[in-house]
Amino acid sequence: MDIENSKRFLPEGKHLMMGNIAMSEGAIAAGLKFFGGYPITPSTEVIEHLAVRLPQIGGVCMQMEDELASINAVIGASLVGAKAMTATSGPGISLMTETISMAANLEVPFVFCDVQRNGPGTGFVTEPHHNDIGLMRFAGNGEFQVITLAPMSCQELYDLTITAFNFAETYRCPVFIMSDAYLGHIHEVVNIPSKEEILKKVIDREIPDEITKKFSYKDDNTGKYIIPKPPIMGTDYCPTMFLSQPHSSEGLPTPKPQLFTEMMIKKITSNIDKISLTESYKLEDAELIIIAYGLPVRASYRAVDLARKEGIKVGIFRLITIWPFPDEKVKETVKDAKAVIVPELNYTGVIAEQVERVTHLSTPVVRIPNVCEIHHPNDILKIIKEVAK
Amino acid sequence: MTRYEIRVVGFGGQGVITLSKMIIMASSIYEGLAATQTEAYSAAARGGKCWGEVVIDLDKNIEYIDYPKALKPYDFLIVLSEESANGVKVDFVKNEENTGFLIWDPSTIKKFRAAKKINKVLGIPIQKLAVEKFGNIVFGNSILFGIFTILSGIFSEESALETLRKFVPNSTLDKNLEAFELGKQEAMNFLNQIKEENN
Repeated sequence: MDIENSKRFLPEGKHLMMGNIAMSEGAIAAGLKFFGGYPITPSTEVIEHLAVRLPQIGGVCMQMEDELASINAVIGASLVGAKAMTATSGPGISLMTETISMAANLEVPFVFCDVQRNGPGTGFVTEPHHNDIGLMRFAGNGEFQVITLAPMSCQELYDLTITAFNFAETYRCPVFIMSDAYLGHIHEVVNIPSKEEILKKVIDREIPDEITKKFSYKDDNTGKYIIPKPPIMGTDYCPTMFLSQPHSSEGLPTPKPQLFTEMMIKKITSNIDKISLTESYKLEDAELIIIAYGLPVRASYRAVDLARKEGIKVGIFRLITIWPFPDEKVKETVKDAKAVIVPELNYTGVIAEQVERVTHLSTPVVRIPNVCEIHHPNDILKIIKEVAK
Repeated sequence: MTRYEIRVVGFGGQGVITLSKMIIMASSIYEGLAATQTEAYSAAARGGKCWGEVVIDLDKNIEYIDYPKALKPYDFLIVLSEESANGVKVDFVKNEENTGFLIWDPSTIKKFRAAKKINKVLGIPIQKLAVEKFGNIVFGNSILFGIFTILSGIFSEESALETLRKFVPNSTLDKNLEAFELGKQEAMNFLNQIKEENN
């Protein structure tokens, strides 16, 4: 145990880190014990780093024979009580969808880091392209909700990975960290907090007390959805069965798939206030609103500062949690806006579509698509000026 | 604007990426400035046209760099291979009093048209010096780091030396310190030369 504690936490203070490494260290700080993966550009540094680090803290890093085996190993490890994760890129997540769906059904907590690259197919492997956002929401068959977090710096890759593990433990659903080829390879300073501060934040995987020997269910008296702590297989604190069919709170097959589906969705959406993380920048008097997530946020900050100097009232509403989409927050934020500008690292404008949905197309939504190249602040400034005319 | 834009271009394996990492470590870890480093990430980093970029904010109150790529015109451009010199244009570096440096290596670049038209140009045969004086081209990085430390003035010599100690193996530390010193001297001579020209 001494070895574990001395190596789990990096010394408090500033560390210069690559994005992929910051994410890995965040996972270790959060209590990661098992990593199963198959190396793929541009996520390879994650498995390289964890192959060194996890054995130092009594954890296991396994390079499996392929992506299918990787995700299955991760789910297995989580079922027996280890905090577990995998990291991959677009082609990897395509292969893993079957098991993601299964894990959602079994309410197994795990964290998934998608270091996105250009696609479809093999694509252009070293360039950033936010083209798995749809997949990160709809991975696998069946209806279920996931949580996706979009960091924009090495510091956030570290911090939000801890948050991701906490969400996974709390809501027992797949939690994605949306990184990309660019963010994964940036080097920046990461301020590592003290061990005590980290431990205060981390939700541990513990053997639950008897009453939580269950899957999630709806409390008929209060109407609230109750998500018990994840059970641990091999202990007495485990539901009767783990089935890939709809299950009751005891883990038995249920003849009511309607209620099961409702629970799968509502256990997340009824907690959206706690899950949905957002940030506002100069929104107080903004007539134009940029809605952005991930790397384009950084260019947006500069563009907004430049536009403000020219007297254009523009602000940023930043989505840190992109799934579940914060419908109400976005609706409230953009209700008086003349237009919404959405810079995205894809052509479709996946989040722009969501904004159009929640505003019922009543507010003009201007996309700034870009692929394989991050937005230059001037690209965004140009559109701000055009829209402001 | 307090951003300081640095770009290093050359051939994969010359230490282009290492130099950019040394620059960010000295400025962010030891001087406490906000900084971001990005680098070539592909086969290029292992032999091909390779680059490393660092953006540093000179304002100590700024907590992070908003836009991570180095923007033209650069404050500091280091060009180490013929291929990467071809695309360089006059307006790639700033034309200002205390900034806008171009460092290039005549031992690896034969023709460098743009260099003739840029104000603060230092052509120094880094690879040749490294091989002749220290026996291996890898010491070229420490020469360049010495040049950068003096010309940019972003971080103190102590910060630079601390960084050097972190990056080089103990067995070659003395030689690297010598190389760093050589770079420093070259840079100081260059600054004096600029001063004389201005007078």
